[in-house]
Amino acid sequence: MRNPFNSLGILIAVVVAIVVASYTFFTVDPTEQALVLRFGQPVGDLISEPGLHVKVPFVDSAVYIDKRILALDNPRQEVLVAENLRLDVDAFVRYRIDDPLGFYRTVLTVQGANAQLSGMLNSALRNTLSDASVADIVRNKRETLMGDIRDTVKKGAERFGINVVDVRIKRADLVPENSDAVFRSMQAERQLRAAKIRAEGVQESQSITSKADRDVIVVKAQAQQQAEQIRGEGDAERNKIFADAYGADPEFFAFYRSMQAYETAFKGDTRAILSPKSDFFRYFSNPVPTPAPAATPAAP
Amino acid sequence: MSWNNQGGGPWRSPGQGPWGQGPTGPQPPSDLEEWLRRLQQGLRGLTPAGGGGGAGGGGGGGRLILVFALIALVVWFALGSFYTVQPNEVGLNLVFGRYTGKTAAGLNSNWPWPIGTVIKVPVFDQQISEVGYSSEAGGGDILAESQMLTGDQNIVNVHSRVIWQIDPAHPEDFVFNILNPRETVKAVAESVTREVVGLKTIDGVLTTDRTSMEPDIQKRMQSVLNDYHSGVLVLQVQLQSVDVPAQVVSAYRDLTAAPQDKQRAINDAYSYANKVVPEAKGAASRILNDAAAYKSQTILDAQGQTQRYNYISAQYKLAPGVTRERMYLETMERVLGGMSKTILDAPGASPPVPYLALEPSPEKPAGAPK
Repeated sequence: MRNPFNSLGILIAVVVAIVVASYTFFTVDPTEQALVLRFGQPVGDLISEPGLHVKVPFVDSAVYIDKRILALDNPRQEVLVAENLRLDVDAFVRYRIDDPLGFYRTVLTVQGANAQLSGMLNSALRNTLSDASVADIVRNKRETLMGDIRDTVKKGAERFGINVVDVRIKRADLVPENSDAVFRSMQAERQLRAAKIRAEGVQESQSITSKADRDVIVVKAQAQQQAEQIRGEGDAERNKIFADAYGADPEFFAFYRSMQAYETAFKGDTRAILSPKSDFFRYFSNPVPTPAPAATPAAP
Repeated sequence: MSWNNQGGGPWRSPGQGPWGQGPTGPQPPSDLEEWLRRLQQGLRGLTPAGGGGGAGGGGGGGRLILVFALIALVVWFALGSFYTVQPNEVGLNLVFGRYTGKTAAGLNSNWPWPIGTVIKVPVFDQQISEVGYSSEAGGGDILAESQMLTGDQNIVNVHSRVIWQIDPAHPEDFVFNILNPRETVKAVAESVTREVVGLKTIDGVLTTDRTSMEPDIQKRMQSVLNDYHSGVLVLQVQLQSVDVPAQVVSAYRDLTAAPQDKQRAINDAYSYANKVVPEAKGAASRILNDAAAYKSQTILDAQGQTQRYNYISAQYKLAPGVTRERMYLETMERVLGGMSKTILDAPGASPPVPYLALEPSPEKPAGAPK
């Protein structure tokens, strides 16, 4: 019925159809948008809808441009801020290509866009931060400053078809020389506090020990006072006892007490020079008694 | 002006599923349908036998090609249309690059390649971003990341760990909306951590504010990432360590040791006091006891002496003269008995001549009265 040419013809037709189809249809991913260029000139609308699309084969070409949020991580910049301090600032930009045609005409590629944005970001960082103090950048006005930088970059990026979604300062740290000063002041501050705490310890310790010493002296003195009183009582009692006992016969007491006193006074190695005329020797050479006894002992 | 015409939303009728929609792109539907119809007609023309009877009689070469093409078509559909989604994943169906819907875990289908593609996203996996350090081998502290300024312009080293996952409600955002989402999460984590640390004082960061900082960082990160429509869910932020820099560690250690030193000084003082005061009390009671002893002794001694005296006195009253003489002599006997003695006649006479040496005194020459 059909000759082999017929089927060969079909084969050729299929191949040609595939080739033509591959140059006619193109797909757009959700992550991208496409421009159709005819000999370098854009034709038709921007294709932002993902899916299958057609163009004129062999004449038109499709250029894909990213639709996602893109990142520029800026390298560390040294920025001079108020009080002549220098900060190392890292910032990043998140942006989207909202106008692919403008983008394609001005910067062409993401690399080109990043180069432009990087320049704008650096000058925006310098201009915005130059008058701000470190305290403002780190704490007080961080959000406001980031907002100012974002607005500046956003405005500048519009002509590249770029919509800047966000600019954030990632790091804002003192340069190493300034950091050393911070370390020194941190160290000094801690040393001051440590010394104060230790001094408080010494202070308390002194007050405790001195109080203890005071207590010691007072306790002993009080005891001494009571002791003297007790001794005095004893002495008074003794005197009273003696007075009561000896008051009855003072003359005999004087004699008795003298005898006791001689005995205790001349104990031990005592040399006595005695007169033979003393009463003790009354009978020594003469057995006739002569009264009135008297002894003259003397210590050498 | 932007000339993207996304007004109607990019996805058309997502509920319809991949099969219902067909491979028609939004822009040239009529062309494509016609193309397909013509293809179908062509095929029908080539198979007059029709139906599923298979390739019955040996026809021409064209028929053979057709049979092969059909078999290839069936195999293509059978092998290419089905795929498995793991329990931790969600599948995203794309037809000619257009997102048509997500599929849950299990066996799913889509158009075979190159018409359809599937992106599987591990939405239930917990992802970890580390700031200031790396837990990988040879990582450790990354000084440039970890060192940050506090609000009172001190410097701390902060290591934090952000645990996040791809939002299961919006996995397409994560995949389609943002370039390098992982890096973005990390960059935002760094930025926000510094922002939050910058709001605190160093003492707060090191101690009291630590716990409140974690949810604060999480909240701020989530808000920034939501602004990016990144499809990222920040689950938790953990501050792994918050330390003072190595340069001032010794000063800080010294500061933490200081209260202990203070306490030690105070304790030493108390132990001194606890030793000295009781000792003094002991000494005081000794003094008092000594005094009491003296008092007792003195009184008893006096009483004893007076008692003795009273006895003697009573005897004396009975015979005063004799007793007196006896007492005198006995006393002198005892007193002079233990002495070395020199007896001199008339102390006024010159020169003093020893009258009687009762005992030689070797160490001192006799004579020289006092």
